[in-house]
Amino acid sequence: MAISPAEASEIVRKKDIRSRWLLSAPALILIAVAGVGPLLIVVVYSFLAPGNYGDVKWEFSTEAWFNVLLSRDIFDDTVTLADAHLSIFLRSIQLAIVTTVLCVVFGFPTAYFIATRPIHTRQIWLFLITIPFWTNMLIRAFAIQEVIRNEGIVNSLLMGLGLIAAPIPMMFSDFAILVGMTYVFLPLMVLPLYASIDKLDFRLIEAAYDLYASRFNVLMRVIVPLVKPGLIAGSILVFIPALSSYVIPRVLGGGKNLMIGNLIELQFGQGRNWPLGASLSVTLVIIVLFAMLYYVRNASRSGGTHG
Amino acid sequence: MQNIVKDFGHFRAVNDVTLKIASNEFFTLLGPSGCGKTTLLRMIAGFEMPTKGSILLDGAEIASLPPNQRPINTVFQNYALFPHMTVADNIGFGLKMLGRPKAEIEKTVADMIRLVRLDGREKNLVTQLSGGQQQRVALARALAPQPKVLLLDEPLSALDLKLRKSMQIELKRLQMETGITFVFVTHDQEEALTMSDRIAVMSDGQVRQIGSPWEIYDRPAERFVADFIGETNFLTAEVVSVSGDWARVRLASGAEIPASFPANTTPSGKVTVVVRPEHARAAPVSAASVLRGTIHDIVYLGTDTHLHVVLEDGTPFMVRQQNARSGPCGYEKGETLGIELSDDVAQILRD
Repeated sequence: MAISPAEASEIVRKKDIRSRWLLSAPALILIAVAGVGPLLIVVVYSFLAPGNYGDVKWEFSTEAWFNVLLSRDIFDDTVTLADAHLSIFLRSIQLAIVTTVLCVVFGFPTAYFIATRPIHTRQIWLFLITIPFWTNMLIRAFAIQEVIRNEGIVNSLLMGLGLIAAPIPMMFSDFAILVGMTYVFLPLMVLPLYASIDKLDFRLIEAAYDLYASRFNVLMRVIVPLVKPGLIAGSILVFIPALSSYVIPRVLGGGKNLMIGNLIELQFGQGRNWPLGASLSVTLVIIVLFAMLYYVRNASRSGGTHG
Repeated sequence: MQNIVKDFGHFRAVNDVTLKIASNEFFTLLGPSGCGKTTLLRMIAGFEMPTKGSILLDGAEIASLPPNQRPINTVFQNYALFPHMTVADNIGFGLKMLGRPKAEIEKTVADMIRLVRLDGREKNLVTQLSGGQQQRVALARALAPQPKVLLLDEPLSALDLKLRKSMQIELKRLQMETGITFVFVTHDQEEALTMSDRIAVMSDGQVRQIGSPWEIYDRPAERFVADFIGETNFLTAEVVSVSGDWARVRLASGAEIPASFPANTTPSGKVTVVVRPEHARAAPVSAASVLRGTIHDIVYLGTDTHLHVVLEDGTPFMVRQQNARSGPCGYEKGETLGIELSDDVAQILRD
């Protein structure tokens, strides 16, 4: 049977499509099972009613979503803004932003330092940067505690030197959380920044100096715009886990300095309100999504006008 | 520049170089790679500090100033254009950093764009331009702040031959129009000869000879200079007499010819004499023949024919003949040939 050229190309096209789907199947399955699926479960749970001893009752309810932002007085049913939730959201966002900024402040010089070392010593530096990753985050949080608690290394050193009479209280504060998160997430900033700075053409820096740029202008007008991809990647990598951080605020922030992560955990634990926990989680995802959209857009736009 | 020395560790990149470059001059540093010419340039720009010596600009010491405080700009070998900026922003960068008013920057940028013929490209990102256009942006960027000295580090080496030729003419034009001193670094002798007012030939961190293109080519002082620039025949000879600027030398063949010699030297005894291949004539052996030899090889090059001759004493000698349209040169391999030299073609080298 003769096949016309059009039919032949149709067959080839179909085969092509089939093999393409087959090749991407593992990735698609993984995304469905590990990404979309759990997220869907969370979304579904957020629209259910809480069970008596945790778990959920399978009846549709928007009560959980209502409780994310608002709270109903148990006696007279007046509705007010849920101040506790709002302030925790706000605090979490603030802490995540400050952590990101601190990671840039400490990470940029570190990455720059590593990228300007001779090629064979760079690997040693990068290795040192990644070592903390091998340790459980809980252990690292306790290590930080050991450094900054009242009888910790910093305070005993300062008191030993006679610089202070009484220990400076640092534990269980936002400061402690920031120290912990900056320490834990710093490698996530350093590595993408290093990759960007490594690709930077250092002759451009010479060219800028040659054209009368001051050190500050070389940094702001040449280096920063050119390593922007690394800066953006690093900021995203730090901001997201910092925002949903759980272990660090739990260990270093104490009971009263909650972040979103702790609030969510509370709903699934003592709170026994899984739907509220689920709706808070979805809210967190939405916040992250918008933050990223805003940030990436802003960064790329300013890149356009600056340049 | 006085007694400049630059060491990198134990390696002496630049060794006791003293140069005086006049203003409005097109000055070229010529030498093979690794001769220290780029290091010298980087010291003028301020990217390297001389280990010893001083760099004066209009009588003022600048050797210790950082690059952003020197009225000197550089055109880099790979242009080093800012990839995140447009053509106009690249060109205006220097003026902006100098804090010039916006109107002035815009006007100068517009002038520069016209000068380097990039009209209509102002808003393009430099990454969208061809190599030749990028080259011109690099030039305009370095010229825009009106530096006293413009340094050019092999700026044409990345371009293809045709573009290079037209950029050579362009560069010379820009230098004439702007009146800025150009210090040009190249390893390409032809480029140096085409554009320069004066050339400094360098090797092993030292300046071997400074002079006009004509002096460098026709009056090489040293073997290195004669060998590096163009093709040369080296002959051994003996000085017979010296009078004024000319000496008489006796060649190995016994013939005596006049020869010039470098200033501040008095040639005597055994010397090396150079004769450019195009300054020698091949002819049948006659009384006018200064040298005699047999043809070893004949190479036809289109414009010229090269006759590779082995002289009677075994020295190789090349004659370059311009081709006419009358067919092959008429000689054959193995033929015995006489070589005639005019009275002003030989130059004695410093030992």
